[in-house]
Amino acid sequence: MEQFYGYFLYLISLATMGGIYAILTLGLNIQWGFTGLFNVGIAGFFAIGAYVSAILTTAPSIRHLGGYQMPYAVSFIAAMLVSACIAWAVGKVCLRLRTDYLAIATIGIAEIFRLILKNETWATNGPRGVSMIPKPFETLPEPWNQLCFLALVILTVFVIYLALEVAHKSPWGRVMTAIRENEIAAKAAGKNVERFRMQGFIFGCMLMALAGAYTAHYLKFIDPNATEPLTTTFLVWVMLIVGGSANNRGAVLGAFAMWTVWSASEILASRLPDELAIRTAYIRIFLIGFVLQIFLQKYPKGFLSETRPHPRAARTPGYSEPE
Amino acid sequence: MKYLAKFSLAAAFSLASMTASAADIKVGSVAGVTGPIAELVAPILAGRNLAAEHVNAQGGLLQGDTMKMVVADSACDPKAGVDAGGKVVNIEQVVAIVGASCSGATNGMVQSVTIPAGVVSVSDSATAPSITDLKDNDLVYRVAPSDSYQGRALASHVLASGIKKVAVTYATDDYNAGLAEVFAREFKNMGGTVTANQAHEPKKASYRGELATLAKGGPEALALFAYYGSSGITIIRNSIENGLFGKFYAADGMFDKSVIEQIGADVLRGNIDISQSSSDYDDVSYKLFAAAISAKGVNPKAPYAAHGYDATFLMALAIEKAGSADRGKIAAALRSVSKGPGEVIRPGEWAKAKKLISEGKDVNYEGATGIVDFDENGDVSGIYGINTIGADGNWQTKLLK
Repeated sequence: MEQFYGYFLYLISLATMGGIYAILTLGLNIQWGFTGLFNVGIAGFFAIGAYVSAILTTAPSIRHLGGYQMPYAVSFIAAMLVSACIAWAVGKVCLRLRTDYLAIATIGIAEIFRLILKNETWATNGPRGVSMIPKPFETLPEPWNQLCFLALVILTVFVIYLALEVAHKSPWGRVMTAIRENEIAAKAAGKNVERFRMQGFIFGCMLMALAGAYTAHYLKFIDPNATEPLTTTFLVWVMLIVGGSANNRGAVLGAFAMWTVWSASEILASRLPDELAIRTAYIRIFLIGFVLQIFLQKYPKGFLSETRPHPRAARTPGYSEPE
Repeated sequence: MKYLAKFSLAAAFSLASMTASAADIKVGSVAGVTGPIAELVAPILAGRNLAAEHVNAQGGLLQGDTMKMVVADSACDPKAGVDAGGKVVNIEQVVAIVGASCSGATNGMVQSVTIPAGVVSVSDSATAPSITDLKDNDLVYRVAPSDSYQGRALASHVLASGIKKVAVTYATDDYNAGLAEVFAREFKNMGGTVTANQAHEPKKASYRGELATLAKGGPEALALFAYYGSSGITIIRNSIENGLFGKFYAADGMFDKSVIEQIGADVLRGNIDISQSSSDYDDVSYKLFAAAISAKGVNPKAPYAAHGYDATFLMALAIEKAGSADRGKIAAALRSVSKGPGEVIRPGEWAKAKKLISEGKDVNYEGATGIVDFDENGDVSGIYGINTIGADGNWQTKLLK
C-alpha cells in the first residue's frame, strides 16, 4: 500500500515538472513553431523569472536581496513583466538577425544574464543561491499540498494552451505562420514583420519566465546550477521537436513524454549494480540526444504535426473549407 | 506511439517485479554523478559503499538485513536533486538518505522532498551556511562542516593565544563577509572585545585610511577576512609599514605562499595565524578508514570520501539504534549515535557497535573526519588547522583541538 502511495506521489512530482516544462515548450512554440525565431537562450529568461519571483516572495535574509514577501500573483506577474522588458531590449538588438545568427546571439545573451545573476551576490547570493523560497499551498498536509501545486501548474498549462489555440487560429497567428514561411511575401502583403516577430519573442519569453518562477517555488531554492542550459534550453528544444513543432498539443505532449523519459529512466538504471548505475547516468543524457536524432531523421514533424490555421467557414457564406 | 505504450508497460512490470526483497533495507545514496563535480563523486560513492560493505560483512542491519545503497543522480542541480530525492523516497521507499552532493541540490532536495516526507538525510559535501537556517524538523544533517564554522574555530584560537581585543575587517564578498560575521559574534560570546568591525572594498591600491580607523581603541591584533590577492597582502603591508598592526589572524582566503613571498618570512614569523579546514591524519579513526579504502584502490584523501564513509556509517548506526526501519525512529536516533555518552565506535567497528546496541548501551561514533558530533542544527564543527610560518620560511600546519 505504501509502495502504491509512493508511486502516486512520484507521479505527482513527475507531472508537476512535466507541466512546468510544458509551459517552457509552449513559450518556445510561440517563438519557433509559430514565428520561426531560433531562440537558444531559454535558460536566460527562465533564470530571470526564477530569481525575480524568488526575491519578491522570500522573507528578509542577510544573504540576498529580499524581504518583500509579495503575494504569488504579484511575483508571477512581475517575473513575466521583467522578462518582457528584457526580451524587448534583446529583441530590438537581435531580432533583425536571421535564424542561425539569432541563435548565436540568444545563446550569448542567455549566458550573460546567467553570469550576472551568478556574480551579483548582493542580490542573488551568487553561486550559493536563494533558499527558503515559499511554495504555494505548502501549509496544507501531504499529499494535498503537492496536489494543489500540481493543479496550479496544470491549470496554467491549460489556460496557456487554450489561449495559444485561439491565437494560432486568429489573424495574428496566421500572420505569424506567414512570416515563418515566407517573410518577404508577408512584407509584400503589408504586414509589419518586425513588430509581429517582436510580439512573438516577447510572449514566448514571458512564458519562459513564468516557468522559471514556478520552478523556483517548486524547488523552494534557486541557484545558477538550476538554470544550466542542458536542462533548461536544450531539453526544451528536444521536447518541442519530439512533440511536434507548431502544434500546441504536440508541445505539451513532448514536454510530458520527454520529462518522463528523462526522470523515469533513472528508476530502471538505479536497479543495476553500482558501477553500472553510475555509468547509466551518462547514458540518460546520451538517450536524449539519441531520441532527438531519431525524431529529426525519421519523424521530423514529431508526434503531432502542425495543423495549419485557416479562417472559419461560417463567417463567409459560400466559402468552403480547404481540404 | 505503440512502441511507447509497450515500453511503459515493460517498465511498469519490471518495477513491480523488482521491488525490495524482504531482507533489504534501502538507503538513498544521492550524489552528483553527472554535472560539475562528477569527477569528485566516484571516491565519495566509494566511501559510502565501503561503509555499507563493512555493515553487511559484520552482521548487517537489525535481523541480519542487508544495507542497500540506492544511487540517484542529483547532478549538482536543485531540479535534479528534487527529482532524485523524490524517486528514492517515493519509488524506492528508502528509510533514509545519504546526500545530496552540492549545497544547491541538497537545499532543493531537503526543502521540497525529504522534510515534507519526514525522511532524514545526512549530506557529506554540502557546506553552504544557509542549510543551517532551514526549518528542518530535525531531519537535515551534514558531516561536512559549514563554511561559517571556521569563524568560530578561529575565534576560540585567538582567545586561546591570549588576545582579548581585536579589530575586524573583511572584504565585501559573500564568503569573507559571512566568516567575519560569525567570527565577531563568537569572539564576543567567548568574552573577547571587538574594537572595530569594518568592511573594505577589494582591489584598492591602499588601505591606510581604513587601517587608521581600525587601529583606534587599542586592538591587540587584526582579524583579516579577505583573499590574499585582492586585498589581504596590501592590508598586511600597509599595517606593518605604518606601524598600525603587528599581529594578524586570518582565514583560509589568505592561505597562500605569495603572502610569505611578498611580505617576508622574517617579518611575519610568529605574527600571523591562518585557519584552514583540515583533517587529522594522525587520528586512529582516520587511519582505520584510510587503510580500508586504500585497499580498494581509492585515495583516502580524495575530497569528501571520508565524509561519505562517516555519513553512511552514522546512518547505519541510527537504523540499528532505532531498532526498526521506521523513518521517524531513525531520524530520532541519529543525533544520539553521533555523540557521547557511550562507547566510542570507530570506522569498521560495526560488529562491536551492533553488540553494544543490542545490549541496550549507548554508542558514540568518532569517524574518519573527526568526532562528528551533530549540534542542534545537525551540523558538525569539523577540524581546523592553524598555519604559521616555520623556521624554513614555509607554512606549518598545526591542528586545532
